[in-house]
Amino acid sequence: MTNILFSLAPESILTITALLVLGLGVSVPNSRSLITSAALLGGLIAAAAILLFPMDANLLHGMVVINPLARIFKLVILGLSLVSVVFASESFPKNHFAESLALILFSTIGMMVLVGTEDLLMIFLALELTSIPLYILAAFDKESSGSAEAGLKYFLIGSVSSAFLLYGLSLIYGVTGSTNLLTISQLSGSPDSLLIAGIVLTLAGFGFKIAAVPFQIWAPDVYAGAPTAAAALIASGSKVAGIFILARILTTGLGHWAGAAGWGQFEPGWAPVLALMAAASIVLGNVTALVQSNVKRLLAYSAIAHGGYLLLGLCSANRESLTAVLFYVVIYALTTAGAFGVVAIVEKQRGGSRLEDFDGLSKSSPVLALCLLVFFISLAGIPPLAGFFGKFYLFTSALANGQHLWLVIVAIAMNAVSLYYYLIVLKHAFVLPAPDDIRPANAPASKILVAALALAVLALGLAPDLLLKPISVAGKTPPHIATSTVPPNDQ
Amino acid sequence: MTSDYLLLSIFLAIAVVFPLVPLAMAWTFARLLSPAKPGKDKQSSYECGIESTGPAQVQFQSHYYLYALVFLIFDVETVFLMPFAAAFLKLPISAFFALMVFVLLLVEGLVWAWAKGILAWK
Amino acid sequence: MILTATFLSAFAGAALILLLPERQAPLARWIALLTALTGLGFASAAFVGYDNTPAAPHFQYLTRIPWVPSLGISFSTGADGISLVMLVLTGIIAVTGVLFSWNVSHRSRAFFAFYLTIIGGVYGVFQSFDLFLLFVFYEIVIVPKYFLIAAWGSTNRQYGAMKLTMYSVAGSALVLLALIATYAASGAHSFDLFTLADPAKVHFAPAFQAWAFPVMFIGFAVLAGMWPLHTWAPTGHVAAPTAVSMLLAGVVMKLGSYSALRVAMTLFPQGLEQWRMVIAVLATAGIVFGALVALAQKDLKFTVGYSSIAHMGFVLLGLMTLNLAGLGGSVLQMFSHGIIGGLLFAVVGRMIYDRTHTRDIAELGRMNLTKALPFAALTFTIASVASMGLPGFSGFIAEFTILSGSWKAFPWLLIPAGVGVVITVAFTLRALQQVFFPSGEPSADVHPFDPITFPEKLGALMLIAATLFIGLFPSVLLDPILRSFHSPLMQKLLVEVPK
Repeated sequence: MTNILFSLAPESILTITALLVLGLGVSVPNSRSLITSAALLGGLIAAAAILLFPMDANLLHGMVVINPLARIFKLVILGLSLVSVVFASESFPKNHFAESLALILFSTIGMMVLVGTEDLLMIFLALELTSIPLYILAAFDKESSGSAEAGLKYFLIGSVSSAFLLYGLSLIYGVTGSTNLLTISQLSGSPDSLLIAGIVLTLAGFGFKIAAVPFQIWAPDVYAGAPTAAAALIASGSKVAGIFILARILTTGLGHWAGAAGWGQFEPGWAPVLALMAAASIVLGNVTALVQSNVKRLLAYSAIAHGGYLLLGLCSANRESLTAVLFYVVIYALTTAGAFGVVAIVEKQRGGSRLEDFDGLSKSSPVLALCLLVFFISLAGIPPLAGFFGKFYLFTSALANGQHLWLVIVAIAMNAVSLYYYLIVLKHAFVLPAPDDIRPANAPASKILVAALALAVLALGLAPDLLLKPISVAGKTPPHIATSTVPPNDQ
Repeated sequence: MTSDYLLLSIFLAIAVVFPLVPLAMAWTFARLLSPAKPGKDKQSSYECGIESTGPAQVQFQSHYYLYALVFLIFDVETVFLMPFAAAFLKLPISAFFALMVFVLLLVEGLVWAWAKGILAWK
Repeated sequence: MILTATFLSAFAGAALILLLPERQAPLARWIALLTALTGLGFASAAFVGYDNTPAAPHFQYLTRIPWVPSLGISFSTGADGISLVMLVLTGIIAVTGVLFSWNVSHRSRAFFAFYLTIIGGVYGVFQSFDLFLLFVFYEIVIVPKYFLIAAWGSTNRQYGAMKLTMYSVAGSALVLLALIATYAASGAHSFDLFTLADPAKVHFAPAFQAWAFPVMFIGFAVLAGMWPLHTWAPTGHVAAPTAVSMLLAGVVMKLGSYSALRVAMTLFPQGLEQWRMVIAVLATAGIVFGALVALAQKDLKFTVGYSSIAHMGFVLLGLMTLNLAGLGGSVLQMFSHGIIGGLLFAVVGRMIYDRTHTRDIAELGRMNLTKALPFAALTFTIASVASMGLPGFSGFIAEFTILSGSWKAFPWLLIPAGVGVVITVAFTLRALQQVFFPSGEPSADVHPFDPITFPEKLGALMLIAATLFIGLFPSVLLDPILRSFHSPLMQKLLVEVPK
């Protein structure tokens, strides 16, 4: 029992923090700074718990799995959620502020449990714990009809996809007789129709989470309508957790039925499905972003496209490409979180997030404009920033067995196209003149955080090994992301 | 196999016919025997003998929804408590603490709802 | 280290300028000038210090630091004769570009910061021997170009900036694709050019080379303004402010041709063999079409822009000849056209357009510029004459060697190339005559323009001196260039063409 408690220490600390925040919200609702500090302090203690108690555990038949890779990702998710907390503290609506922070923390707990499990049931549970607070957060701005639309769409489409996912997972359980991913992987042979149905439904459920075509319909409206700090968490944290667990399910659990996705050499399995989803997402995301006039919606389509790039890495499913996917999703999450942070500050200052609201940003807040430049150029994949190296590594490793050349060609071509719409936003920020009346934005903590994220993106671009080495080393120690034959040990 | 379902089909038929017959009889009698003489007092809605005042359509209080929500949560909590209660004597003491954590989490939810004024009727 | 200092100083200068407070903004151009001079100093020192004796190694000033070992990426720089010539060219253009931008006052900090970033990236490309590193520097140049043109440019700048940037990115995408495919196909787990281009260590199947070479070459050649992918260049150059046009025509287009030579041609010799004729024809087409279209222009800057296409056509033609004369001439032409193109854009943009606010040839002819701006007239005359390939200036040597190399390789292409030369003379003379020496009565009233400032004169003199010096003493550059073609890396390009 104590072993379980220890291994779930970070999540427990976060739970207590969330409850504390709720309590503070009820007793001293007007001191936002106290509530925010409580949340940040709890998060930092949870991070310390992750760092100070290294362990390798596989408890309760794979329901709780702690290994170095999971620990790294728990830290990343925790970091992203603390970033959202800071952004929320300076941009969220005043009413029910403590509840919004508590919801962010609850969602984070869900994400952390999600990366630390290898059991189908726990995966579903954690996914729900992640999603439901995000639904509420998307609808948090009571004075905006866009927010209500975002929340409702997110909730409806999310519930449907959860239903699909649950159905898929239960079919997989039905065929294989176990909910543990490692046990599932030991069943070999060609899949029967029930298993195929299960895999497809599971992919549908996760496709929603990652906003991949054709499950991407919610993304533009939710990203655009939700309060910007919530959108930051949805774009960064939930994507990291979703990709991680999808990678784990596909490679640890369903590795045998991967199939192949080479041009003209499709073999049945989940890899060709992912390849088609990836191609569609990359093309649709980039092409539709070309005509957007709202920056948040543009970031949503960019998220769809990036989901496509990540799926491209997942189709290849060799160790290199999985490391590349995990590396890139972290880079992408940092960059998007920063981009949304800039948008939140601009929204506060100019009252909206259309392209025109960014006019003359380089004159009114040069540091902010420079950070925006860093984030968007990194998203476009231009060196010397982290996004370039991430994409480069991703494409290189995807080509390692020479199969996915067609997909890499599509990805590189669309990536070149994407520079156009990023430059359009930057054109408004740097080239067009500023309107005369601009109030200064009072968001000091967000600005500092945004600058820190920009520096991180630059640093990771110049020295990618800072992040790449830990991930790649962690991915090598068993049990790791590829199929392992180490049996789970009961506690 | 036929005999298994024969009984059932007969039962089904009677089950369908049984309520329909009085209805058909009522309809026939109403049509043939009772005159249609509607009047103001006869058509008015019954409200325990009192004269009804105001419009018939009263706005549904959405606050009922919040009560239903909180009730649902505690109802599900009760459902979880029942197997625990049934197996209470066989479980070790750590199970008690685990369930207390669960109950206390929900109690905190109740305290929060109370403090936020959700339980007060508006 | 001395090579690394070139781009490090440029980036440091850019960062320093960004940190300047707004009141100190006039200081930005001084910092830019100092940084550019520092870079030129380092490049010249490296050039002078290059050991040209036959026994010395071909590639000197080598630095190699592992960067991302898991992918075989290292920070690997060095220089041979070709690199050093290009580095010196970059230094000269950087300094003169700053001099010709001395009057930029609107948002000057951002202007010079972007400018120095491009310079740093260009320095980096010319010294990289790791393909990833080269690509990183190649891409760094792309984004600042957009902002410089969109924010400080003139005619049609939004469209011109976006078109130029998107073409550059499209070219880079092709290069990236070929680069990744090369890495995957090589199996060498390294991005080092020396390793990948060594036939003893890495072998690329001819079928692979048949598509990898054109993809990579065309990707680089887009930036070099190869016909028919050149349409970004005139629009972009015209829209750009003067210093940026000088940079673009002077060095950035050379990034494409240099990288094509250094990377695409050395990695895939069999692919080169298959596509050589096609590219040579396209290059010659560029010479002829560029010259013909320049002849029809009514805007002086467009004329100069299209002349750049024609001159770059010579570069690409020289590259395809695969003999010492053509290759050496091609590199020399890169240097020569860099100087001359820079000078032409400087005169047209800074000396003329900034004062007259028009570039229309007919209108300029009526302004009696020979009397109003005599220095500009003199400079433009010298620049035109150099651009036409008059002996005494660097252009003559370069074009002559390219044509003699091309006679050995593609004798029949000499006819269109020669026609192109003639048309080049034609449009250059036409522009010169119609703007500065128009027929008919010059108008009596001479509009008083601001006199040519000292920085402009200094810049013009530097550029004229460079092209004149190399025209008179070409061996200063030609010797290191030709020697570098004897290195194992570059030697395999040479083909003995059977008579």
